[in-house]
Amino acid sequence: MSATLARPAGAGPSKAGPGPSKTGRGTRPPRGGRRVTKALHFLTFGAPGMIVYLLLVLVPIAMTVRAGFTNRNPANPPTHWVGLRNYRDLLHDPAFTGALRNTLIVTVIVTVAANVLGLFIAQLLDRSGWLYNALRSVFFTPVVLSSVVVSVMWQAILSDDGLLASALRGLGVEDPPGWLSDPDLALYSVAFIITWQVLGFCVVVYLAGLAAVSTELLEAAEMDGAGRLSRFRHVTWPMLAPAVTINTVMLLITGFKTYDQIQVITNGGPGSGTTSTIAFEVVQTTFTGNHIGYGSAMATLMLMIIAAISVVALRFLQRREVTQ
Amino acid sequence: MNATRTSPRSSSWFRPLAATFVTGVFFLPLYVVLVNVFKPGSEITPHPVGVPIPPSFTSIHEVLTRSDHLFWYGLINSVEVTAISITVLTVVSAMLGHYLARSTGRWAKGALAIMLCGLMIPSTVILQPVTEVLRSLGLMNTIPGLVLANIGYYVPFGVFVFMGFVKTIPLELEEAAALDGAGRFRIFWSVVFPLLRPASASVLVFLGVWIWNDFLNPLIILGPANGTTVTVGIYRAIGEHQSDFGTVFALMFLATLPILVFYLAFQKHFVKGLTGGATKG
Amino acid sequence: MRTRTSGRTGAVLGAVAITTAFALSGCAAGGDTAKSDGTKGNVTMSFLTFETPNLTAKYWDDAIARASAKVPGVTIKKLVAPSADRVAYAKQLAASGQLPDIMIAVSPNGFAQAGQLAPWTDAELTEFIAPHSNPIGGKVYQLPYNTQPTPLVYYNKSDFAAAGITAPPKTYAELLDAGAKLKAKGINPFVVGGGGKDTWADMFPLIGAVATDTYKQTPDWLSQKAAGKTKFTDPAFTKAAAKVADLAKSGYIDTAGLSRAYTDVEQAFRDNKGAMYPMGSWFAASADAQKPGFDVGVFPWPSDDGSLVVPAYTGGGMSVSAKAPKVDLAKKWALAFMLDKTSLDNSVKTDGSIIALKNYTPPPGMGPVYTATAELYRQAVEQNAIVDAFSIETGDGSMPAGLPDKAAAGVADLITGRKNADQFASFLDQEWAKANR
Repeated sequence: MSATLARPAGAGPSKAGPGPSKTGRGTRPPRGGRRVTKALHFLTFGAPGMIVYLLLVLVPIAMTVRAGFTNRNPANPPTHWVGLRNYRDLLHDPAFTGALRNTLIVTVIVTVAANVLGLFIAQLLDRSGWLYNALRSVFFTPVVLSSVVVSVMWQAILSDDGLLASALRGLGVEDPPGWLSDPDLALYSVAFIITWQVLGFCVVVYLAGLAAVSTELLEAAEMDGAGRLSRFRHVTWPMLAPAVTINTVMLLITGFKTYDQIQVITNGGPGSGTTSTIAFEVVQTTFTGNHIGYGSAMATLMLMIIAAISVVALRFLQRREVTQ
Repeated sequence: MNATRTSPRSSSWFRPLAATFVTGVFFLPLYVVLVNVFKPGSEITPHPVGVPIPPSFTSIHEVLTRSDHLFWYGLINSVEVTAISITVLTVVSAMLGHYLARSTGRWAKGALAIMLCGLMIPSTVILQPVTEVLRSLGLMNTIPGLVLANIGYYVPFGVFVFMGFVKTIPLELEEAAALDGAGRFRIFWSVVFPLLRPASASVLVFLGVWIWNDFLNPLIILGPANGTTVTVGIYRAIGEHQSDFGTVFALMFLATLPILVFYLAFQKHFVKGLTGGATKG
Repeated sequence: MRTRTSGRTGAVLGAVAITTAFALSGCAAGGDTAKSDGTKGNVTMSFLTFETPNLTAKYWDDAIARASAKVPGVTIKKLVAPSADRVAYAKQLAASGQLPDIMIAVSPNGFAQAGQLAPWTDAELTEFIAPHSNPIGGKVYQLPYNTQPTPLVYYNKSDFAAAGITAPPKTYAELLDAGAKLKAKGINPFVVGGGGKDTWADMFPLIGAVATDTYKQTPDWLSQKAAGKTKFTDPAFTKAAAKVADLAKSGYIDTAGLSRAYTDVEQAFRDNKGAMYPMGSWFAASADAQKPGFDVGVFPWPSDDGSLVVPAYTGGGMSVSAKAPKVDLAKKWALAFMLDKTSLDNSVKTDGSIIALKNYTPPPGMGPVYTATAELYRQAVEQNAIVDAFSIETGDGSMPAGLPDKAAAGVADLITGRKNADQFASFLDQEWAKANR
């Protein structure tokens, strides 16, 4: 960490600069058989990880894309090409569009809520001492828990016979909301559960960010008569930018992958697809529904959406690196 | 975490009180599970939040002595899968991260971009073809198969973390070692890798937690024939005894304990690792 | 030259580390080693079961041991579906190429068409009362060993008495009347499930209504649908769906059920959270074995004119994978399992099965709820009043694979009012078209 901070801004050694890549090579001590050593370097350092990644991520993606153009269904042979039919059907399939909508809602809620709450709680816990250390650990515990565990736990609390409902009835509430049984509420309950689970991650990242905010700067600002809010706005917030990026990226990923909670808590319901996410819909269609072709088309569309988001995120990250 | 301040101006009682209160609310659901692990099943519904004095170990005992050894077999599998996966992943992704960070070629950038896309891919989306690949390798239903799937799937994360750290290590250090005649492996293992310790810890903890807690991959890839992991075991147990929260909670507690201990052991390094990421720039 | 040496050392070290890791992992996973006892010449075959409050791990283990004792040369590896929805799990396994060798109570629909199951021959089916139940392409893929009336309405006699209902409803109008009386007393009329992993548990009222309003008039209605001659949007079906929607609208079906998994629904009925529990006949065994704090009665889902209609499904037995290591041996074992008297008795006692085998008499001393259930079924057979149980059929002309799940999700929409009967019906038509893609 000290190395990081000591590094002058914008002088990351990784930035090869505008020069052609040959410059980079030129800095290495000259050696015989450069091509051979380069190949050897790749084979030893680069290849193992890349090959496994190729075999178990890229090849499956290619297989998915390919299957998406077929009607593959083991229960309904034979398999043949159907061109873009699956994609045309998808756009008019409420199961898919609904799942896409649900996924986006969960992702947005989780990203915004966990960021805001995380920053607030980090501010609250940004002190030293045993008490604050203990409190921080509490917040981080759910991050370490399996989402299956968290799901079962919240199900026990939020179901209609659950602990919260009994507590509310004890307080005289006649008809407590069906957090998981009301089709208009269930999706938000799931988003809440996910937020609860990832909140600790955001808190720790923001605490780390806050720790790096220079005390001198804050004090100087205070001397200049800057108020609490203004200090946050002009000193703390800009320094937190990397933490915001990390959290946002992390939360976007988490939101998009939402599967376990749906599988364990709601099974996509109550009702048809009120809480189903794309990941859930893909598994249902491919594995349970036998529609490998159609499910693969769905998976491919999802990958395209993800690729688009990744490109935007990468652009954004690169620009940030340049401006700083 | 060392730079936290004590501001003399904030009132001395408000912050600890507010912080404790907020944390308490947040902690409530965990508390409910925790206290009910130590209650006999019949006590849970009538007294869900009461403190169990004296604690009862019937639920825990019941889980540990199940006739189908669900917990113990699951534990063995989970430990095996997690330990092997994270060890191999740390080595592989540290080397690949270093390789990509130090490569300036266009294709290396392309490879990196493709890799980072992998960060966003839900494993659910490629699971079906993954099973086909594993079957053609003869690794379906085996622990090496699950490990391999884990490596492929998590290597982008490892690379992402390690690359960030490699970039903070001055190239001059490696060049000096090279001038001394050290080879790439030696430079990497004796000069670079020790400096990557926070990143290694970070990768170990994150991936350890993720892989331990993974649910769908072991359910499908490990399949039913070779037993399950503890996490899949919980999913199985909730179908059987939904109404008996005592044993479900006890199983959850026991299944979480190892990974919680692992996390606590690495916590310091882990926070450092995160700090590096959160403050760079 | 130090360079190369150290480089090689590193590579060797790395290779050793990885090899060791995989060698270590080669030690079979926990749970596996214990059972492969290495008995010479034994064929190991996997057997997919599922556990419910009635059918416990011990139930299966004992039954497996008895069957294996009769068929030498087989080592059975028990697999347990992670939820009561073993069909979905079998699908997942099949999609990842690991269909179990032997399965029980898994609808062969979808598997059989894909050529994944071995058909049973007539010679193997001689013991069965209805050997040709639910054929697929004319062949039987699942042993029709028991009949389950699904649903019958189990009810809380104390609640009925409290609401002044003197006799179980005979006509649908009387059922509605009973609902109104119960509700007036502050008693929730129907307990219906469908939460968590068990969406299917919300189907029972609809199965009852389809039996009385659709299948009674046209017993092969669903086959006609499969052949494209009828549609769900036809009044013959929407009338049944509308009944469920109306029950929910009148507040007779508690939506809390939509957050209750199957075991929780049963518990809810036991905890007196509703007076009527439309459920398969297997509940009878549970009600007898662990008597709730009230007397349980049973009546069939009433039809408009009060004539008797009982939806039932005969099947539920073993299927054998076409790719089992030794199909004949697997079949032999499956039959031994099915025909074992002790296992059948246990199935009757723990799961309320009505055994569909010639020369079988149930064990003496069965409880009152089972006796009442079996008597109802006997009457229905006598009066020729048995119809199919909607969505549970598995033979030719039944719902395509995956559609029962969609139907269950749709029923939840009916119950919450997100779909009316017509919307539900056209949803089913759409999903049917999609499923056959």
